[in-house]
Amino acid sequence: MSIINYAKKEISFKIVYYGAGVVGKTVNLQYIHHSLPDDNRGNLISLATGDERTLFFDFLPVTTLSVRNFVAKFQLYTVPGQVYYNMTRKLVLRGVDGIVFVADSQWDRLQENIESFRNLEENLREYDYDLDALPYVIQYNKRDLPNVAPVEYLEFLLNRRPRRVPYFEAVAVDGKGVFDTLNTVSRMVLVNGFAQEQGASR
Amino acid sequence: MNIHDVAIHEEAAQRIDRILVQFLGESGAMDALLIDRSGQLLARGGSARSLDTVSLSALAAGAFSSTAAMARLLGEPEFTVLFHQGIKENIHVAAVDDQAILLAVFDHRTTVGMVRLFAKEAAAAIGTVLAEARTRPARVGALATPLADDETGPMFKERT
Repeated sequence: MSIINYAKKEISFKIVYYGAGVVGKTVNLQYIHHSLPDDNRGNLISLATGDERTLFFDFLPVTTLSVRNFVAKFQLYTVPGQVYYNMTRKLVLRGVDGIVFVADSQWDRLQENIESFRNLEENLREYDYDLDALPYVIQYNKRDLPNVAPVEYLEFLLNRRPRRVPYFEAVAVDGKGVFDTLNTVSRMVLVNGFAQEQGASR
Repeated sequence: MNIHDVAIHEEAAQRIDRILVQFLGESGAMDALLIDRSGQLLARGGSARSLDTVSLSALAAGAFSSTAAMARLLGEPEFTVLFHQGIKENIHVAAVDDQAILLAVFDHRTTVGMVRLFAKEAAAAIGTVLAEARTRPARVGALATPLADDETGPMFKERT
C-alpha cells in the first residue's frame, strides 16, 4: 500500500523481509544500514530478545533518488522467524508493498523454508492480499556454507508458481547479494507506485 | 486484492495541517503525528524540534496493532487509546479510523484528559478528510503514466 503525498512530493513503500528463524533477515538490514550513505538511511531499530532474536520486527527507513520530482522512500521491515511468533509476523505484513523471502540454503533447513513460505501465503490471505499480485523476490542465503542445496533444487522448492520471480544467491554477512536483492525488489515496488499500462496486472 | 493506496493531495494535506494545528492549540500537546496503520507517517504538526518521526511512526503503529491484537483476545474490537507515561514527556495514541492513528506528545503543561478530549475531536475531523481523499484517484499528475525502464538507475548504491 503505497503512501503518496502530493504536498511533500513523496511516495513511500513498505518492504518486508520474510523467512524462517535465523536465515539472515536482520543481517540483510544491518548490512544495508552499514553500507548506505548517511543521507540515504535513517536509524535501524531492532526489537529483539536478549539473545538477539527478533521479537517483533527490525525497521530501517531508506530513501532513494527522485523520480519525476517525487522522492521515493522505502521502509524495510523484518519479521520474527520463529514459528510461535506468528501473531507479530502477521501484524508486520499490514500494508506491505513488496516482499523479500529469505531462504536458508542448507539442506537441513529446507523444510523450514517451505513452511515459512506457506505461512507467508496464509498470513497474506488473512489480509486479503494475493502473493501472485504482489512484487516479491527470493534470496537464497548462506551460499558460503558447505552443506547447501543446489540453487536449481531451491528454485524447484520455492519458485515454481505460475509467475517465477527474480532470485538471488547471497552471503548476507559479507554483503554478497544484499544490494542486488534490495535494488530489484525496490524497483519492482516503485513501478507499482505509478499508473500501470492498460491491461497490465499489478 | 485488498491493498488500497493512500494518496494525500495538496488540499487534503492543508486541511489535515489545520486540524493538527488546532488540536495542538486546544490540547496543549507539543507534537502531533498522523500515522498510517502500516507504520508510515502521513502528516506532522507541532514544534520544529528534531524528532525521529519515521521511527516513532513505525513503533507506534506496531504498538497500536499489538494492543489491538490483545484487545481481540479479550473479545474487544480494539483498544481505541494508548497512553505511555514518561518522566517528562508522554505519548497518547488514538484511533482515527481503520487505516490511521493520531499520536500526540505532551508534557506537564497539559493533562492526559485534555489531550484525550481534543484528540477525539481531531481524529473525527481527520477521519472525514481521509475518507474523502480515498474517493479521489490516487495516481494523478506525475504518477499518472507508467514508469519507463530508463527513468531509474540502480536504486541504492553501497558506500565506497
